[in-house]
Amino acid sequence: MTNPVTANRRHFEDLAVGEIIKIAKTTVNKQMVTSFARQFDPLPFHLDETAAKASLLGGLAASGWQTGALGLRALVDGFLSGIASAGGLGFSNLKWKNPVMAGDTIDGTITVADLRRSNSHPQWGIVTLDFDVRNQKGASVLTMRLANLVEVRTQ
Amino acid sequence: MTRWFEDIAVNEVFHLGSHLFSAQEIIDFATEYDPQYFHIDPEAARHSHFGGLIASGWHTVCVGQRKMIDALSAEEERLRGLGQKPGVAGPSPGVNAMTFTVPVRPGDTVTFSLTVTNKRRSNSIPGWGVLFNQITAANQRGETVYTAELISFSKLRDYTMPARLKLLQGLAKVPLLGRVLARMT
Repeated sequence: MTNPVTANRRHFEDLAVGEIIKIAKTTVNKQMVTSFARQFDPLPFHLDETAAKASLLGGLAASGWQTGALGLRALVDGFLSGIASAGGLGFSNLKWKNPVMAGDTIDGTITVADLRRSNSHPQWGIVTLDFDVRNQKGASVLTMRLANLVEVRTQ
Repeated sequence: MTRWFEDIAVNEVFHLGSHLFSAQEIIDFATEYDPQYFHIDPEAARHSHFGGLIASGWHTVCVGQRKMIDALSAEEERLRGLGQKPGVAGPSPGVNAMTFTVPVRPGDTVTFSLTVTNKRRSNSIPGWGVLFNQITAANQRGETVYTAELISFSKLRDYTMPARLKLLQGLAKVPLLGRVLARMT
């Protein structure tokens, strides 16, 4: 059964290890930081400048979940929307290495690190993607690995 | 946890409460952060192997984070109500593994819980402890929708900074000297 939504997209067979997806420069301003934090991560150091100065982070910083969400959006726009993606299995080794401070500009890369067929489901392959998000000084702010299902064209 | 590091019991289960996922909020979140067709388009989603709209895994985990912070705030209020000084929750350095096991669909009610499976004093940040938190989210049928191993920092109550460190921190505040010290350490 062919999926009409993904029929003309790249499938598992069309992917190659080493493909690099660019994360375009995004400035994470104060308004973005506080509005995401109010919804999902209302800790003082994501919401209030005075409280943030006294915290371990030393200033208003974005929720790590927001940094990850911005990286995920870049992956969807630059890769997942163009392939026969069948959903994510999970993330591993997620590390928030440095805080993203309000006003920082982030960019980075996502690399296709591994491709393998699923043992249990012949209709799927698994693409492994390594995220490397950095700030304007080139310092690493987030790394993580995503395992994502992709449809196999020929079975 | 908004308890002091010393007061957190390993293997104690904290109930973080439930959240009902509506189709609208699933679409709203995914439109901004994960616009794949099975997260944003109910019609197209029917052709996917999910057979319909499902929430972005990142969305369900973000809701889990919110439930955890709300539970921490409630605990803080409870301790203040008892006349105690609450502990301090710090930022998280990362998540070891986060696995999506069953999709979350519109109308699903997901219940979150947290267990601190291990704790130790931080080697890198004096005065803080490291907590290993196992977060589990289950739907209304009791099926696990995701699990996550979240690492977090919690402040020590019984900590006195050694004189040598206090002196170093004081010196680091002197502008030029601070930069030199940062390069040395």
